[in-house]
Formats: sequence, C-alpha cells, structure tokens
Amino acid sequence: MIEVDSLSRSYGTRKALDSISFQVPTGSVTGFLGPNGAGKTTTLRVLTSWLLPDPGTLRVTVDGIDLLRQPQRACRRVGALLEMLPLPGELRVIEFLSARARLKGVPAAKVLSEVQRVLEEVDASEASRRIIDTLSQGYRQRIGLADALLGDPPVLLLDEPTRGLDPRQISLFRGLIDRLRGHHTIVLSSHVLGEVEQICDRVCMISAGKVCLDEDRKAWTQRLESAGTIRVELAETHPDVETQLSSIEGVREVRSDGDGWIVSADRDVCHLIGDLARQQNWVLSQLRTDPATLESLFLQLTGPGEAS
Amino acid sequence: MMRVVILARRELLSLFVSPVAWTITFVFLLVMGVTFHLSLLAVDGDLKQLVAATYSGLVFWFMMLMLPPLISMRSVAEEKRSGSLEMLITTGISDTQVVVGKWLSTWCFFLFLWVCLLPLWSLLTTVGQVDWGVLMSAHLGVALIGAGFCASGILASTLTSHPLASAGLATAINLGLFLVHWLSFLYQPGDLQLRWVEHFSAVHHIRDELTRGIVDLRVIIWWSSFTFLMLFLSTKVLERRRW
Repeated sequence: MIEVDSLSRSYGTRKALDSISFQVPTGSVTGFLGPNGAGKTTTLRVLTSWLLPDPGTLRVTVDGIDLLRQPQRACRRVGALLEMLPLPGELRVIEFLSARARLKGVPAAKVLSEVQRVLEEVDASEASRRIIDTLSQGYRQRIGLADALLGDPPVLLLDEPTRGLDPRQISLFRGLIDRLRGHHTIVLSSHVLGEVEQICDRVCMISAGKVCLDEDRKAWTQRLESAGTIRVELAETHPDVETQLSSIEGVREVRSDGDGWIVSADRDVCHLIGDLARQQNWVLSQLRTDPATLESLFLQLTGPGEAS
Repeated sequence: MMRVVILARRELLSLFVSPVAWTITFVFLLVMGVTFHLSLLAVDGDLKQLVAATYSGLVFWFMMLMLPPLISMRSVAEEKRSGSLEMLITTGISDTQVVVGKWLSTWCFFLFLWVCLLPLWSLLTTVGQVDWGVLMSAHLGVALIGAGFCASGILASTLTSHPLASAGLATAINLGLFLVHWLSFLYQPGDLQLRWVEHFSAVHHIRDELTRGIVDLRVIIWWSSFTFLMLFLSTKVLERRRW
C-alpha cells in the first residue's frame, strides 16, 4: 500500500506538488494521470527517494514503511521503471541485471535464476547475452521492466511502461499486469488513457500539483456513464424539439449543433427519446449514445491551461 | 559495505568492457616503461637510486595529477547527465554508498595501473638488487596520494554534469596540492612561518620521505583524512539534489 498525506514539493519558488493526498490500496493497479508538468514524475521521484518532500508533508509510506524516516528501506520495497531509461549500453543484459539484482539485495546464489525469471516474465530471455547498445527500443523497455521486477518488490512504479512496445508486447504486458495484480501494488503512469482504462482498478489524476480525481473503477465508470451524451437527428424538421427533449425526466441539457441535438442526461434516456419520437411522429435518422471516455474526463478535469 | 563492493565491481566491469580502460593502461605502461628505461640510464645502473628517480620525476607527477581526474571524470557526472544515477538510487543504495563505491572502483583501477609496473621491477632483480622496502613505501605513497586524488576527482564529478569540466576541476584541486610544495620555498632562513606547508605537500611526502623508505604516520593520516574529507563533501553534494 502507498499512503501519501499532504505531500508538497517545490523547486525554488515553484510549487510542483501542492499538498496532495492519495492512497494506493495493496494489490491494486492505479493509473497515475496528468498533463505534462502536472507533478507526476515529481511524485514518483519522491516515492523512489530521489527527492525529499517539503517540510509540512505529513506522511508518505510505501508498503507500511515511512519514507521520510527510512528512505533506503522503503526504496528497497519498490521496483521502478523510469520514464527516461538510461541503461549502460556497454554491458550485456545479463551482466546489467545481475549487478542490479545484487544491489537490490538478491542473494548471490539466486541471482541467475532471478534474472532468468524476470526475463521470462517480460518475454526477453533470448536477449540475455546481447549487448544493451544493440537492443531495439522495445527490448530496452522490456529490460527496464525486468529490472523493476527484480527481487519481486511489493510495490511497482511504472512510468510509461508500454512506450516503444509493439501491439503483441503491449498485450503481453497487460497479461503480466494481470498476473501481478492482487500480489503487488502497482502505480502506472501513462498518457495512453485507453490502456489505463483497460488495465487499472483505480485512477489518480493530478493537475497543476493538485489531485483532481482519485476514484476506483466503479466510481469513475459511473462518472463516465453520467457524463455521456446522446445524439438525436430527425429526418424532417419539427418545432419545439429542444423543449420536448428537455422535458424528459433525467435530461440535464439539450444543445443543438445545426444538424441535430446533443442530449446530456443523468442516466440512459435513449428509450424515453424513442417513446417521445413515436408520440410526436418524429422520424429518427439517428439516435446514438456517445459514452464519455477517460480522455474526455481527463480533458474536462485538467483543462486547457492547467498543463503549464 | 556489500553494496559498495557490488557497485565498485559493476563500475570496473563497465570500465573494462569499454576500450577506455585498455587505452589508458596501454598509454600509461608505454610512457612509464620509457621513463623507467631513461631513469635506469640516468642513475647509471644504480638500482638503489632508481626508485627515487622513477617516482619523483615530472612524468610520474604528470601521471599522478592527470590519471585520477581522467578515470573519475565520468563516474558521477555522466550518470547525472544520462539520468542513470536516479536509476541507481532506486535500488535502495544510499548516497554515501554510491560515492564510496564509485571512488573504490576509480582507486582500484588507478592501483591496477601501478601494480602493472611491478613486473618491470621483478625483472630487474635478475641483474641487480632492488630495495623492495623502498619500492613498497613508494607504492604506499602512490596508493595514499592516489586515494586522495581519486576522491577529489569524485568530488569534482558530483559538482558538474560534464565529464570534461569534472576532469578540469579535479586537476585544478590536485595541482593545488602539488604546487603547495613550492610555497614552502618562499620562506627565508630563520623564518619558519611557511614551513608547515610541507606537511601538506604531496611532493615532499613522495620525494623526501616515501621514496627514501621513510613511512611517517602523519603522511598516512593526512592523506587518509583528505580522502575522507573529499568523499564526505561528495556525499553532501550528491545529497543536495534531494532538497
């Protein structure tokens, strides 16, 4: 479990994180979202002990260990895949991973089997003897992922884990996350919102250094359902369509875009619109539900000016 | 301690799989081999003077001043620039362990170079008598002063992200410790105000003591303290990024 309570971090006078609080439950996969510059990387850097939080931060714990008091011990419970993946190009994959395993405290006798295990997990066993400089971006990403899995840490922080992977590898990555789900606490920072929507149990969205959404799948799905719209187009013109649509119970807003009407409602009112059309003898040329997506929610919550 | 050794081993592996280490070793052995030969001619075959002639000449000091900055310049600076230092920290290793591990690998490579010269001395034992005691005390000096110079190289490397700037800065620090010796020449007979400078002089320690077989505890304490100070400062500089 990760617990963050009133975490602040400034760079000089600029506040990158402004007293953010969130929790990542044990065994869950949490999508960590936000526009560039929102503070995602800063948060991950605090969680890996690379940066210290500002004074005033109440609590940051990783797997029950207080990061402010025991940063090294807490850090050993974390496997991190960094966004910038600086691998030593002159070493072979097995040499690099073996050294990393030893640094992470894997006993010498178990290093080779551990390296083989993580390479199999990320489907990169065939690259074990290759020099890192000769690897493609996809392979490098998988080696970074293998490094994060070394020592089987209970907490995984993955920053853009599928960058550079081909569709088959992305599918394998999802399978890997499914296998890890329940046993590991995973934070997945990504700009690929469709991926987050598919994989994650929770979403934590930050914008301009503040948490603007922290919900589990059920809550955010409900939010998306209620944020969806229905598009109505008629074959012929009729007066008072907008007023009639607005009178339907549950409809919040009706807008016309010239060709038709966009209905926002608290729940699914498609069948009620169908009933109304029959009563009014309207010929519907289109009645379509446009569900809200995480992307539309992201754009709505983070806003156009928030990224800076 | 284990993490320090593991890190140092990984650093040495990275160094030796690249051509840099082998190029430095080749150039070092070539230059020192020629110096050795010229020193042998200069002392006219007197092996007892050969240690002092080889280990206090200009080429020797050039190697002592230039090698540690060249070996250590990439150790932290390059990692800071590429971001791999952050990756290293995610293993749970402390800043002190990083600094000591990097220094240890640098120092080990530096010692490896000087140890490579020992077969030349062994060869000389077939034609004459080498004073191994003096030779060992001279090598002790090389190891002690090398430890300090390697540590100043690590400090310089933590202060910048550019390896060349790091090498320049480290050379300047080492040069200061080298040139401090000439400061003591300014004192007049009877005026002992500047005499204390000799206690910090690498040249004085090597030329007047260690290559004569004199091992003074003060020399060991001074260079060990200097090394410790440089490593302590390096750790503090590295920790600064967290604030």
